[in-house]
Amino acid sequence: MDDAVSTPVVDMVDIVKVFPGVRALDSVSFSVKSGQIHALLGKNGAGKSTLMHVLTGLYTPDSGSIRIRGTQYENLNTARAKEAGIALVAQHAKFVPGLSIAENVYSGMLPVGQFGFVDWKKMKRDASDRLGQFDIDIDVTRLMEETTVAERQMIEIARALFADASVIILDEPTAPLPKHDVAKLFEFVRRQRERGASFIYISHYLEEIFEVADHVTVMRNGTVAGSSPVKDITQPELIRLISGADVERYKREGSSIGGAVLEVKGLTRPGAYSEVNLTFHGGEVVGLTGLEGSGPGELARGLFGLETLGEGKVTLNSVPYRHGSPIAALQQGLAYLPRDRHGLGIIGIRSVRDNVSLSVLERLEPLFGLINSAKEKKLVQDYIDVLGIKTPSMSTAVENLSGGNQQKVVVAKLAATEPKMLILDEPTQGVDVQAKVELLRIVDDLSKRGVAVAVVSDELSELMDICDRIVVFYRGTIIREFRKDRDKITTAILLAAIEGETVETINAGV
Amino acid sequence: MQASKYIPTLLDHLIWVILVVVFVFFVFQSPVFLTSTNITNILTAAAVLGILVVGQTFVLITGNFDLSSESTLGVTALFGMFLIVPATPPYWGGGIMLNPYLAIITILLTGALIGYVVGFLITVGKMNNFIVTLAMLLILRGLMMAFTQGKPISGLNFEPADVYFWLGHEALFEIPDVARIPLAVVATAAVFGVGHIILNHRRFGRELYAIGGNRNAAIASGIDADRRIRQVYVMSGVLAALAGWMLAGRVGSIQVNLGDGYIFTVMAAAVIGGISLQGGRGTMLGALGGVLLLSTIDRGLNLMRVSVFWVKVIQGLIIMLAMFIDAQRVRYRTPHAKASVPSAAETSNKTA
Repeated sequence: MDDAVSTPVVDMVDIVKVFPGVRALDSVSFSVKSGQIHALLGKNGAGKSTLMHVLTGLYTPDSGSIRIRGTQYENLNTARAKEAGIALVAQHAKFVPGLSIAENVYSGMLPVGQFGFVDWKKMKRDASDRLGQFDIDIDVTRLMEETTVAERQMIEIARALFADASVIILDEPTAPLPKHDVAKLFEFVRRQRERGASFIYISHYLEEIFEVADHVTVMRNGTVAGSSPVKDITQPELIRLISGADVERYKREGSSIGGAVLEVKGLTRPGAYSEVNLTFHGGEVVGLTGLEGSGPGELARGLFGLETLGEGKVTLNSVPYRHGSPIAALQQGLAYLPRDRHGLGIIGIRSVRDNVSLSVLERLEPLFGLINSAKEKKLVQDYIDVLGIKTPSMSTAVENLSGGNQQKVVVAKLAATEPKMLILDEPTQGVDVQAKVELLRIVDDLSKRGVAVAVVSDELSELMDICDRIVVFYRGTIIREFRKDRDKITTAILLAAIEGETVETINAGV
Repeated sequence: MQASKYIPTLLDHLIWVILVVVFVFFVFQSPVFLTSTNITNILTAAAVLGILVVGQTFVLITGNFDLSSESTLGVTALFGMFLIVPATPPYWGGGIMLNPYLAIITILLTGALIGYVVGFLITVGKMNNFIVTLAMLLILRGLMMAFTQGKPISGLNFEPADVYFWLGHEALFEIPDVARIPLAVVATAAVFGVGHIILNHRRFGRELYAIGGNRNAAIASGIDADRRIRQVYVMSGVLAALAGWMLAGRVGSIQVNLGDGYIFTVMAAAVIGGISLQGGRGTMLGALGGVLLLSTIDRGLNLMRVSVFWVKVIQGLIIMLAMFIDAQRVRYRTPHAKASVPSAAETSNKTA
């Protein structure tokens, strides 16, 4: 057994993957041993999913070597990775919901009996037997859509193991699971490990790592920040590795908070957030944070009109806020920086000029409805200078800029509308360290000019650096609110709140 | 490395280089190619096509198609004649004998209505633009046939119809046997000019590029994308009606197949001229180049007495060449084309 444990089934060495403007993987080495549950941690954009996409053959690395079960793979693609025994179990496993469990287990290889018809009886019996081997006791005639998410994940893992998978990637498996199902899934995973299967376990929940994993690797900014057996590491050490306390940071100094700009009272959207009460003041930067899907992102998109807002009272500068579309939002002075920069932020094939002036063209048309080109150029040039956008010229297509500069272009577009309220959704995601610092400076500057700013982010150190207040959401409700001038705020305290710990438990723990 | 920097620019203006090469080629092939009559013929042929291409360009830039414009052209041209001429042979009109000026206004409004219906189905009905306009292409052509029972409607020798023929028939300036500048050519040049100004110097045009470039980002920038898309279909409809009016003047008698098959040439001209079928890219000037190139080739092959069957083959090859150029253009413009798709997925994937 010891020998088996020491053999790497996956051995990735010096993997480099560059995307336009971002070095997503910078010489990353990662290996998984046989029968190991290897946790892979890191913030969003740290490179975890890029690394997994390389392993599953979806991305071709720019350099580096990949060995799976001792075989070197030069041109790994998805089909070859699958053949080599790599399987990915996504958070929401892919099944045909309207078919039975048996049919799903057999999809693509239904047993055929006499006369070329599907042998349903054999299929049922075999499916039941096969799942039984993996200790999944379930009625295989049930429809897939009637199963729980945990059952689906277990069936998906079993299906991968049938197909001779030796390494199974679990991508945030527990996020959609209720507590008791998490325990069930862990037990199942441990049993499969004893049979020799290896797992790569991706999660944001740190305590789960200590519960289920043998080894942990932490990624940060496209590199490996650390790798160690789980028994040799503590939770605070992990947090330090994940957040990387030693990177360059921007600290906001002083602020003069003005009157209320946006007031939200009793706002509820079922399935997203409930009873949200929040006030944003001019000159104030408020951080909104929480686990994925816990409310802040949904609230931001709802306020801007990209999603429904729900029921409640919202006023902007004491006037009832008309919600429902980005057009209405921008007209009333509420601007939003989307987290999905490529999908919602930039128009990549168009120039810097076209992007920056896009939302204020109306203001630039003084004569015969023609855009005043001199005025437009001045506006764009001013923003290029003030925000420090690095671009060869204002006619360069935005897609040719680095991630950080693309983001600045979006900020410029929003700032040009002269908003009263600015909501930034993960503004520093996918940009390099230097650009992060500059973006935070820009946010600070905007707030000092009287704009009310809300930053939705799970970059806790950044929120601590830039925000006057940090509001923590848990499962759709505001669980805690920290004020910089009043409360002691540390990453650990914030993380605890994000994980749903109430004031009492925190105090007991500290 | 340095040279590759100029490739996208070259690809964007390739159309004018090709046009010159093709033109010179035909000058050497045919003694009458470089005569003022022949040039006028090329430009006249380009006029109707050009107007359709301007309408199509607006639609294509938003990332949509309008396949129905050739049928809109046919229906409106026929409808105008129907309104003007008597019901008796040899005219076979509707016998309404409407004032030709009112008839012209009516068909332009008809074009607008057809465009609005298409735009409404696409934006409010959430139907696929390709299929909607394909269906409209069939419906309008079918209506034309059903309506006339296949008989042509003629305005020849019916004096009031002369006003209706004016645009397609008259010349702005003419020295017999020396030079002739048809009104249609001037009108088309003007339409291109206005189209260029709208696309480049008006908010409307910029918003069309934004919608074609990234529709969701355009919406998140405060643009009413659906409204703009309805507007471009209305513009395409009106311009198709204008082209119909122009073509009616040239032919005098309207057959049910008027404009049939035009759409292929329209698409080819736009794409050859650098209008990207993915939307968001291309200029009116480039589209003009595409129109001139196709008209030149058509006329040149004609003069060289190339068999009509081979002309079809050559046209097909030109369309393929255009698609090839479009593909290269996309490739050179986005040097990381392969990587840029996953990197977009990467940033949108929060569980990364």
